[in-house]
Amino acid sequence: MSRRKRGAAPGTDRFADTPLDGSLLEVDEVKTQFKTPRGLVHAVDGVSFNLERGKTIGIVGESGCGKSVLSRSIMGLLPRNAVRQGSVTFEGREIGKATGNAMRRYWGTQMAMVFQDPMTSLNPVMRVGNQIMESLRFHFDVTKDYAEETALALLTSVGIPEAERRLREYPHQLSGGMRQRVMIAIALACGPKLLFADEPTTALDVTVQAQILDLLQQQQRERFMAMVLVTHDLGVVAGRTDDIAVMYAGRVVERAPTRSLFENTRHPYTEALLKSIPKLGQPSHSKLDAIAGRPPDLVSPPPGCKFAARCPYAQAKCITDEPKLVDAEIPGHAFRCFFPVGSQAGVEALARNLAAGETATGLPVRMEGEAVLTGITV
Amino acid sequence: MAGTGTAHLRAPGDVLLRVEDLVVEFPAGRSGLKVHAVSNISLDVKEGETLGLVGESGCGKSTTGKAIMQLPPPKSGQVLFEGRDMAKLSGEEQRRTRTAMKMIFQDPISSLNPRRKVEDIIAEGLRIWKVGSAPEQQTKIDDMMLAVGLDPVLQRGRRPHQFSGGQCQRISIARAVITEPKLIICDEPVSALDVSVQAQILNLLEEMKTRYGLTLIFIAHDLAVVKNVSDRVVVMYLGKICEVGSPDVIYQQPAHPYTRVLLDAIPVPDPSVRPEARAKVIGEIPSPVAPPSGCRFRTRCPKAQARCADEEPKIQEIQPGQFVACHFPLAAGETLPTRNGSSPLA
Repeated sequence: MSRRKRGAAPGTDRFADTPLDGSLLEVDEVKTQFKTPRGLVHAVDGVSFNLERGKTIGIVGESGCGKSVLSRSIMGLLPRNAVRQGSVTFEGREIGKATGNAMRRYWGTQMAMVFQDPMTSLNPVMRVGNQIMESLRFHFDVTKDYAEETALALLTSVGIPEAERRLREYPHQLSGGMRQRVMIAIALACGPKLLFADEPTTALDVTVQAQILDLLQQQQRERFMAMVLVTHDLGVVAGRTDDIAVMYAGRVVERAPTRSLFENTRHPYTEALLKSIPKLGQPSHSKLDAIAGRPPDLVSPPPGCKFAARCPYAQAKCITDEPKLVDAEIPGHAFRCFFPVGSQAGVEALARNLAAGETATGLPVRMEGEAVLTGITV
Repeated sequence: MAGTGTAHLRAPGDVLLRVEDLVVEFPAGRSGLKVHAVSNISLDVKEGETLGLVGESGCGKSTTGKAIMQLPPPKSGQVLFEGRDMAKLSGEEQRRTRTAMKMIFQDPISSLNPRRKVEDIIAEGLRIWKVGSAPEQQTKIDDMMLAVGLDPVLQRGRRPHQFSGGQCQRISIARAVITEPKLIICDEPVSALDVSVQAQILNLLEEMKTRYGLTLIFIAHDLAVVKNVSDRVVVMYLGKICEVGSPDVIYQQPAHPYTRVLLDAIPVPDPSVRPEARAKVIGEIPSPVAPPSGCRFRTRCPKAQARCADEEPKIQEIQPGQFVACHFPLAAGETLPTRNGSSPLA
């Protein structure tokens, strides 16, 4: 089989020409739409962020907020019915318009992805070892023996016991946690500079989740990789990211350094997401602050703030005008809200709504103890 | 963990459901080997109480829930519901008892028949048992839909695919509650849902429990969720019970090393908590085909000693209301050694 080999073997000095700091990935006003029989779905609607080498950004939001589509848009892994706009710059080169063929040079060696469900993303009829070696042999001019040695070293480094035996096994012979370790080994095989982890632990148990997240973090540090960690759980990203972008209805509604996001939460949606997590410190049977309703239909998103219909702070202005992403006092912290949490305007807006018993969008709100409850609770 | 014993059971007269020495085994293919899914589990639930069953995948928590319903009947052990042994009931008696015991499943979408209308799904129990006349049934269905937060006028004619996961779980709850059961077994009812929707469903379950005087068995792998809804928590590992107690006590003073590990594995939405500094277990749950001797948790337990391999710990009361099956229970405030960051298999 004569396949054109690209580049030197891993381990040689591929990084000699690249600087160790500065921006690795720049995403500017990326928009992704899907053509469907119901109309155009605005899945990602103008998202921008920068990611430096070796840093981690968390992308957080509910199902259907566009977080997975965003990472696939950056990698160029979209189906045919998708329309992508905006610019994606990787190491100073524009890849926003690149076709699948051109992107093959990037997949695996420059950027790689770990998917949510390790069972359906591994090939069930191919041995684990061959799946790890596949990209090595495709991208680099290496012998089979060399690729096998590398695969063995990779499996060992992702914490799989008896790696030599596991190389010859099929995915169904492994547990869910092991499969996800194999997925990570495949993604790391060609030494990518950027790793996307798309809900890497959602399908796993809590104990295994902690192990996998630790593994990702350790590999990222050792390899000086940048990472995009996509999740719906703010708990997962809290101790493990440098920055977090919270997405809602295809937009970034708040973006901040991790500590600042938790300590100076400005957007009501971020606040609501944080409050809805059951906390161990709360006494049993305490009422949870659920977010009423569901995200808007992305075929015809409402004018104004997309979160207004579910927001306890909503005022008349929120229904008609859409807030812009504005900077907070803390550098790097930006949010998209007229009545931000903790500000004078926000406190007054909430007080007005509580006094009226409902928000400008007609959402019932009331106080119960310390908690602000929204929606009709039965 | 991995202990047996009945020290934690309460007087038979006080409880709605009492399960004693429940054993469930499945054949492992044609190998002749057996999967020891549940091994000598005992538990009980008082009327109006919520019992939380928590543990990793493969610990037998769902199997326990299903064995209580006799789906399939356990290999041995007793299930006493209102003092009557479920296994000794005739088929027809068992069928009648099931109106008082209901189940809610994990995947809300696949547990509803996609070809039926929502009102028919909810009404099925009423129609089978011919409860009331047709108009009475309709009123009841509409009331139930309102109670779970659905709009009967707009939504009664729709089919499951027209609803979100959270709404489908509301339909499942309505279907379970409509025959006015005494006990509902909720098998991971919120694991497939987003955090925001999870909170809605947990609140709804609490409200339904108060409103209809329900007793719940709540099965989940997330201790934070279980703690929020339960009056009593049973921590399971590989078909055995580790620890039983009130959720607040278990949270503040876990006595079993496995409980500590489960607590520490919960991701905390606080950036000042460094996840790598928390207690971790090595590897994954062993195969239930050949469970470890003695204490089944010993292969992953940081405190394991030679005794743990030889002798199975019995459940014992270490303080009023807290029971643990461990030879070396954690003292108050004792922490487990952490493995520094990195590889969990180091």
